[in-house]
Amino acid sequence: MAARPALRSAARALRPSFRSCSCPSARYAKPFSTSPLPQKPAPTPNNPDASSFSDKTTHFGFEDGLSEAEKTERVAGVFHSVAESYDRMNDLMSFGWHRIWKDHFVSSLNPGLSSHNPPTPQNILDVAGGTGDIAFRMLHHAHQLNRNPDVRVTISDINTSMLAVGKQRSLKLPASQQTALSFLPADATVLPAALAPNSFDLYTVAFGIRNFSNIPQALREAYRVLKPGGVFACLEFSKVGNPLLNAVYKRWSFSGIPMIGQLVAGDRDSYQYLVESIERFPSQDEFRDMIVDAGFVVGGEGYENLTGGVAAIHKGMKPLDAK
Amino acid sequence: MAPSRALAGLLAAGRRAPQAAGAGAHSSRFVLPRTYHSYDHPPPPGVFNAAEKAILSAAYAHVPEHGFTQHALSLGARDAGYLDISTSLLPAGPFSLIKYHLVTKREALAPKSAGIFGGPAAAQAQAVPVEAKVERLTWERLQENRDVIHRWQEALAIMAQPSLVPASLHELALLADEIYHLSGDKSVDPSWYTKRASLSTIYASAELFMTNDRSPGFGETQAFLQRRLKESSGVGAVLGNVAQWVSFTAAAGVNVLRSKGARI
Repeated sequence: MAARPALRSAARALRPSFRSCSCPSARYAKPFSTSPLPQKPAPTPNNPDASSFSDKTTHFGFEDGLSEAEKTERVAGVFHSVAESYDRMNDLMSFGWHRIWKDHFVSSLNPGLSSHNPPTPQNILDVAGGTGDIAFRMLHHAHQLNRNPDVRVTISDINTSMLAVGKQRSLKLPASQQTALSFLPADATVLPAALAPNSFDLYTVAFGIRNFSNIPQALREAYRVLKPGGVFACLEFSKVGNPLLNAVYKRWSFSGIPMIGQLVAGDRDSYQYLVESIERFPSQDEFRDMIVDAGFVVGGEGYENLTGGVAAIHKGMKPLDAK
Repeated sequence: MAPSRALAGLLAAGRRAPQAAGAGAHSSRFVLPRTYHSYDHPPPPGVFNAAEKAILSAAYAHVPEHGFTQHALSLGARDAGYLDISTSLLPAGPFSLIKYHLVTKREALAPKSAGIFGGPAAAQAQAVPVEAKVERLTWERLQENRDVIHRWQEALAIMAQPSLVPASLHELALLADEIYHLSGDKSVDPSWYTKRASLSTIYASAELFMTNDRSPGFGETQAFLQRRLKESSGVGAVLGNVAQWVSFTAAAGVNVLRSKGARI
C-alpha cells in the first residue's frame, strides 16, 4: 500500500499529452493496470471508403468514444512512427523474451508438416505481420525443418511502413524462401476480395489483433478465407494470473516501457498506447469465446498461457461442415 | 463419497475450468467439471470435443504402426478429412493422443464392469468381494493396452516430461478412483486415499512390467498383478492389526491412570 502515492505520481508523469480523455474517472478507476511489450503492428481499417466504417465507437488505449476510422488512423500513426525501431524496442521491452514466444508459437503450429510424400502444399496468411517476424520463422520451419518447399506465406499488414521494414529484412532470406513470400497491404477487418474464401490453411496474427478496430469482424474475415479444417492462431498479450507477477509486470509496463520508448525511439506516446491497448484487450476466456462465436472450434481450454499469462496463444479451427 | 468430494475440491481449485465440449452447444459449452462420481447427475461432458475426437480416433488407428507421434496424428487428420495443419488444434500434440488412449480406455471400464458383474455396481455388491472386483477390473484395463503395448514405453517417456507429469498422474488417479468406484468401494475414512494410492502404484508398475512381457496372453503380467495386490492387502491387514493393538493399549493405559486417580 505504501507504494500507492509513488504509483500515483508515476501515473501523472506518464500521462501522455495527446490523451484528451473525456472520462477521467475511467482512467483513474484502475490506475496501474496495463501491460508491457508493444509488439506487432495492427491492421485496422484505414481505407476511408470502406463501407464497414460505421459510426460505431471503439477505443484507443484508455481513450474511449473514437470512431473506428479514427482508431485506424491513430494506430497507423503509432506504427508509422515505431516501424524503424520496432525490433530493437521489442527486445528491450521484453528482455528478448518475445523471440521465445514467437518461436514457440510457430513450432506449436508446425507449419509444413505433412504425412504425404511429396508433402502437401500449404498456404499461410500472416496478418499484421509487417516486419515478418512470424512469417520468416514459418518459412524456416516449413522449408528447413519439415522439408516442405511448397509452403507459401502471405504477409499482410495495414501499415505500409511496417511492410517496408519486412520487405527490407526479407532480402536476407535464401532465395527459395523469398519466392515463397508475398506482401499484401490490407485491412484485416476487410480483407481484399483477391483473397478467395476457403483458400488458406493457416491464418496467424501475432501481437496485432488488439489493434484492430473491430475484432469480431476480423475474426469473421479469418473464418471466410480459411479452408474447412484450417486453423486460426493468435499470439497476443493477455491477463496474468499470478497477482505477484502481475504487480511487477504492470509496474514495468506502465512505467518502464513508455520511458524506454522515449529514450530509445524518441516516442513516448506510441508506447504509452501499446501499453494501454494491452490492458484493454479481453482476457483469455473472453477472447476464446469471441473466437467460438465467430464459428471456430477450439480444442481443450482453447488457449495456452505463456510466461504466466503475459502472452497467450489462442487457436481455433474452421469446422469441416462450415458453409 | 465425502473424501472424494474433498479431493475434488482440491483438484478443482488447482485446475482451470472446463474443457470445451463442442462447437455448437454454446450455452452448455463450458460446464464446471466434476471430479467425483454421482448417481444423481448426468455425467459431465467428455474431455474431447467432436472435432478432436474425429482426429484422435482416426489417428489412434495408426498408433500400432507409427506410435504416439505427430506423424500418426497427421495421418489420422487426413483419414478424418482434415488438413495437416488441423492437428495443431490439439492442445498437446502427441500427448493428446496418449490422453485419448487413457481416457477412452478408462471410460470403457464402466460398461465392461456392468457386463462382467451384471447391472449397476450397487446391485450385486455383496456377491463378489471388492478386492476380487478390483483385481478383475485392473486386469481388464491392463488388457486394453494389448494393441499399443509395444509403443507404450515411448508413451511413458512422453508422459514423464516434467510439464506433462501432473496431467499423467491425474489420469492415473482418475483410473484408480474409477476402478474402486466400479468395485463398489464405500469407504469414507483415510483408507479411501491409501487404497487408491496403492492401486495407482500397483497399476503403474504392472503396466511397466507388461511392456516387457512376452508370455502368451500376458500371463506373467497377470501373475505379477495378483502378487502385488496380495502383498498390498497383506500389508493393509498388518497395519490394521497394529493400529488396533496400539489403540487398545493406549485406551487401557489411560484407564489404568484413571483408576489411580489421574484426572484424564
